[in-house]
Amino acid sequence: MGCGEFQELLAEYAGLVGDARLRVDSHLAQCLGCREFLEALQTVDAALAAQFSGCEPSAAFAAAVRRRVNREAAMWRPSFIPELLDFVGWGAIVGLIALLAWWVSPLIPVWSAKDTLTLNMALAAGGAFVLAAFVIGLRSLADLKH
Amino acid sequence: MEQEIRACLEQKRYQDAFDRLLPEFQNKVFRLAFAMLGDSALAEDIAQEVFVRIWKGLTGFRGQSSLSTWIYTITRNACLTALKAGWTKKESSIEEPSVARAAEKSGIEPSAHAGIDVLRHLQELPQKYQQVLRLYYLEDRSYEEVSRLLEWPMGTVKTYLHRARKELAEAVMQGKIR
Repeated sequence: MGCGEFQELLAEYAGLVGDARLRVDSHLAQCLGCREFLEALQTVDAALAAQFSGCEPSAAFAAAVRRRVNREAAMWRPSFIPELLDFVGWGAIVGLIALLAWWVSPLIPVWSAKDTLTLNMALAAGGAFVLAAFVIGLRSLADLKH
Repeated sequence: MEQEIRACLEQKRYQDAFDRLLPEFQNKVFRLAFAMLGDSALAEDIAQEVFVRIWKGLTGFRGQSSLSTWIYTITRNACLTALKAGWTKKESSIEEPSVARAAEKSGIEPSAHAGIDVLRHLQELPQKYQQVLRLYYLEDRSYEEVSRLLEWPMGTVKTYLHRARKELAEAVMQGKIR
């Protein structure tokens, strides 16, 4: 094995065990160049470990992060507009269904009293509208909470 | 801890999740940023930005990857953006606050001479060698951690590390670093 190949092993010298370690030690005893290379590696290792081991952010880091997050949160305000548009949309759908039912109802022979039917339809449409508003309101509150 | 954070996310307790996540990951995020950027002040700034992005993205985190993978990906992307924008400075020194703190902690008198020489020579290595070398020592010489944080294959990490250390060792032998 030439010096080049031993130098590959020298990079892992600290972790070498058994036969590999014996081979390397035996070569080092005879080769000044490789001994100097190992010393140079150890110098580099020690210098870099001293420079970088245990590096941490400053003590104020976490507080600085929380300040930035709080600033971002303050800039964001929940908007009622999407929920309002939802409410209007559903109201329009329920209203249309009620209008359609009122328009179709004379064609159905079962119902004879048009006024009663109109009142019932209006009540049903109103009830459906209130129910839809209640559901949308609950959903809006849940969304805003998050 | 990652399980606890995930449980908070599943229950939509995003603030609780963030409060647990910040102390758990702040050191790793900072070290990864420092390794990639080589400047501790910039690394802190980018690390803060990373946590703001994490806070904003928590509601959309669906758990397709692990939490740590997601966080380190955000960190790497933020650092790559900073590098492309040319925010890094060319030289760093023993006067770097985090480096001085590290030297203090290790009980080693910040040997200005050898430390600065090695750091200066490190700056001349290719960017990828610098990153892997910094992170290797920042992460207590763990190949696995370096591979995981940079998302590089283990073989690549070992190759880059070996070449970087060899170049620095040769510089020592030629007397360029004392």
